[in-house]
Amino acid sequence: MASSTIAASSISFTSLTLNNKGLAKNSVSLSINGKSFPSLRLQAASRRFRVSCAAKPETVDKVCEIVRKQLAIQPDVAVTGDSKFAALGADSLDTVEIVMGLEEEFGISVEEESAQTIATVQDAADLIENLVEKKGSA
Amino acid sequence: MRMQCLDTKFFTSTSLVPMQLPSRMETHLWYVKPNEVKSEQLLNKYLEFLPKSEKEHVFSMRGDELRKGALLARALVRTTIARYQINQVSPRSLKFRKNIHGKPEVDWQQIEDWHPQQLHFNISHTESLVACGVTTHNPIGIDIEEKERKIKHSISSFAKRYFSQQEVQLLSSISDPEIQRQEFIKLWTLKEAYVKALGRGFSGSPFKTFTIRSAAASKESIHLSESSSFENSDIVVESLEDSTNHTGDWQFALLELAGSHYAAICSRKDCANIGSHPMKIGVWRTIPLVEDEYVSGTNSVIAVGGLM
Repeated sequence: MASSTIAASSISFTSLTLNNKGLAKNSVSLSINGKSFPSLRLQAASRRFRVSCAAKPETVDKVCEIVRKQLAIQPDVAVTGDSKFAALGADSLDTVEIVMGLEEEFGISVEEESAQTIATVQDAADLIENLVEKKGSA
Repeated sequence: MRMQCLDTKFFTSTSLVPMQLPSRMETHLWYVKPNEVKSEQLLNKYLEFLPKSEKEHVFSMRGDELRKGALLARALVRTTIARYQINQVSPRSLKFRKNIHGKPEVDWQQIEDWHPQQLHFNISHTESLVACGVTTHNPIGIDIEEKERKIKHSISSFAKRYFSQQEVQLLSSISDPEIQRQEFIKLWTLKEAYVKALGRGFSGSPFKTFTIRSAAASKESIHLSESSSFENSDIVVESLEDSTNHTGDWQFALLELAGSHYAAICSRKDCANIGSHPMKIGVWRTIPLVEDEYVSGTNSVIAVGGLM
């Protein structure tokens, strides 16, 4: 799900830990939210890098909140980035209501093609940040 | 309770009553009510019908009721299709695949001793009812919804976001909020059934690009008479995009099922159906492996629209 393209930009370290113990000089192993990725080569020329994937935790939290409300999820059931809408009991009517709720909350417009690809909370959060970014740079 | 007295020997796949395929002009609809299935033994028998991937999917559901619903949906599909096989086929042996747009279909070549059939099916489920529609030769889509279903957004804002302009106008012309809500739910199920029948996915036929209305209503008269908009009338779909969409090929039926749900059925008209006859529907309430009850013509099936 998270792509591991490395481009030059700044990076937030809150959700990443770098661990280059015992690895080749120019490679690091990235651990994002507890998942580790195979080691990647860093461009020697540039030490700055950005991993363009996971949405901000705040976005994920906001999506979780909207999903909880829409599906009337019991407090003891966990809703996280990995949670699949279908597994939480969302039917098609719930899903379009969730998309509508996200559009209203974030001031974005989600096309049907994109809406169809959202399966998890993380998917929704990533899509939102993508659209918000596009909107900002328009 | 009856269920507790039943022995395991009753729960075999040979206790599935074989069925003749519906004719080209007919649709068969089977439904299960989860609250009628209480036996753990029976649910375990259903579980045995599922391959590993489907079992995993059932167990990925968060909560007992959701797991039971997912299990019943798969059990209903498998047992229903198995009934129509010429040779006794175990529900376990059926294989499914998805078409390029993601619509599930039977993978006939994977079954031993296979007889390819022009059998089409589609399922829909809510918390309290799971249904499976079956046709031959012509694609089918079904959608069911609880009659009392309420949405979080206002009907007006939801319709403006997702429905066509004509549909928005029709809904906004209804002054009674309860009737408006009912008409909204009916319209939603009809639109879902159409998209599912087309099998192109939600984005292949965006809701805004077509209008479903009663044949009696016209573009000029958008106001409802006292009765509901779909009652006692044919239901038709119009494409707002290109006219090559063959919308005249599709027929609809809207039912009240088990007193609790609206069920919309959409199927492609059979090419032999020149006279545009209304859909013939046979409905069975079932507890697979235990009992089947033909309920057409009873209070469990009330025609709302698209049927005479």
